[in-house]
Amino acid sequence: MPFAPVLHSEWLKIRTLRSLVAGLGALVLVTAAFSALAGLDNSADADFDPLFSAFFGVSFGQIAAITFGAQAVSAEFQGGALRVSLSAVPHRGRWFAAKATAIGVPVLAVGLLTGCVSLAVGKAVLGERASGMSWGEGLRGVVGCGIYLALMALFAAGLAMLLRSGVATLSILIPFLLIVSFVVGDVSGSAADFLPDKAGQVALHETWGGALGPWTGLAVTAVWAGAALLAGAWSVRRRDA
Amino acid sequence: MTSIDVQDLTKEYGATRAVDRLTFSVVPGRVTGFLGPNGAGKSTTMRLVLGLDRPTSGTATLGGRAYATLDEPLRHVGALLDAQAAHGSRTARDHLRVLAASNRLPERRVDEVLEEAGLASVARRRVRTYSLGMRQRLGIAAALLGDPPVVLLDEPSNGLDPEGIIWIRELMRRLAREGRTVLVSSHLMNETASFADHLVVLGRGRLLADTPMQEFIHARVDPRVRVRTTDGAALRDLLARHGYDAVEGEGERWIVSHARVDDIGRLTSGAGLPILELAAQEGTLEQAYLDLTATEAEFAAQSPTQPQEA
Repeated sequence: MPFAPVLHSEWLKIRTLRSLVAGLGALVLVTAAFSALAGLDNSADADFDPLFSAFFGVSFGQIAAITFGAQAVSAEFQGGALRVSLSAVPHRGRWFAAKATAIGVPVLAVGLLTGCVSLAVGKAVLGERASGMSWGEGLRGVVGCGIYLALMALFAAGLAMLLRSGVATLSILIPFLLIVSFVVGDVSGSAADFLPDKAGQVALHETWGGALGPWTGLAVTAVWAGAALLAGAWSVRRRDA
Repeated sequence: MTSIDVQDLTKEYGATRAVDRLTFSVVPGRVTGFLGPNGAGKSTTMRLVLGLDRPTSGTATLGGRAYATLDEPLRHVGALLDAQAAHGSRTARDHLRVLAASNRLPERRVDEVLEEAGLASVARRRVRTYSLGMRQRLGIAAALLGDPPVVLLDEPSNGLDPEGIIWIRELMRRLAREGRTVLVSSHLMNETASFADHLVVLGRGRLLADTPMQEFIHARVDPRVRVRTTDGAALRDLLARHGYDAVEGEGERWIVSHARVDDIGRLTSGAGLPILELAAQEGTLEQAYLDLTATEAEFAAQSPTQPQEA
């Protein structure tokens, strides 16, 4: 079976579910809104990072991205939908690759848009305080934001396929992102730098001190996402549907 | 010609053997009823045929090929497994468009099968708003999408209203007339009797019968004749003389076992006995099925260890 029709089918699945489309809208809005809020905080901080302030909302927007990835997969585990999908496309590896593409590409596109909006809003709110930020840094932040969000959505998608449940995936990932990472994350220069979110978010900072730079950080997040996708692919190929 | 061939198929889930060395074929041009109590392994067998579950041993092929090797399988095989499979937030039309896209089926087919299933007027409504019967129709529409030569339906009449039951019956008969291979599982005997030509019966994962339906019934249920006469005593004596056993039933109707109307009619007419009513009582699939399962239960009770060939 050729890949293109399978991808078309998976893309239609996403487009025809209102909650998924709304999730992508929420990604832009939540990120921009929290970035604006962060910019309003005027307290003078020694290690104030104007770029990260403009992308601060990503910490919350990523919840929308992982929810999107997890839901797009978990829709297959409602009422035997997976059986219908796999009887239409019995090549399971190809099927899951199409699904991952149909998840990753839209999140990348919307993530880039999110980056642009967030940067624009953030700069507007910061005003004078963003003056030190260069165009190159801004561009790196926007691209990093898009790639980071797409990778997190794929990470969640792979995990949801492995766990065969969106609820299970989100109840692991959301507390992890909101609590564990916030708490452990402040201890910089440790293994915590290599957590999927910490590593990828280096790209959203003007300066960094840890072992990972913006692109190596995203590469580490990509390894996490790739591992989750491989685990998901292994699961769908090996297990009875 | 595409037939379904199941060869020595076995599926174990942990310690339980859901399908136990099953061998049978489903041939084109007739409706094959797939019977057995709940948990007999009917649905598991269908999933194995569709390559959704991996067999522990044995094979299931369609026209000699494993399902997973079919290119654009919806053009070869259509299946209804679970009426709840369509996502509630999607419209019926979108559900079918998704399936059609993956197998490069024209969008025209989507509208055709919706029309055929009687869902054209509600095609743009969300599946969440559908009754079980409507979901069942949508599942059948999905099975017909690729105009496949092989159709597998798991309990298709579930939740259908009387009109729907007649529709599905006519549909299955037509599909068989068109030369397709039709396998339909059910645990409703009267329902199955109304559409099946051939039967494959399972019990605890094993094959109990694989025969034409009429043969199955005739082999297991004795033909009986119902007679009403003005003189019951004379009738009984007459029949007894000729070796028939007659029992009086309700409303002075006599039931004669092991008999056919042709014989009883001639006999009573020859004896000058006035007959008010004479009718054949055909055995029902239900009786035949119960007889089979009773034999099976007896067999199982006699041998405490599972009767399995080495």
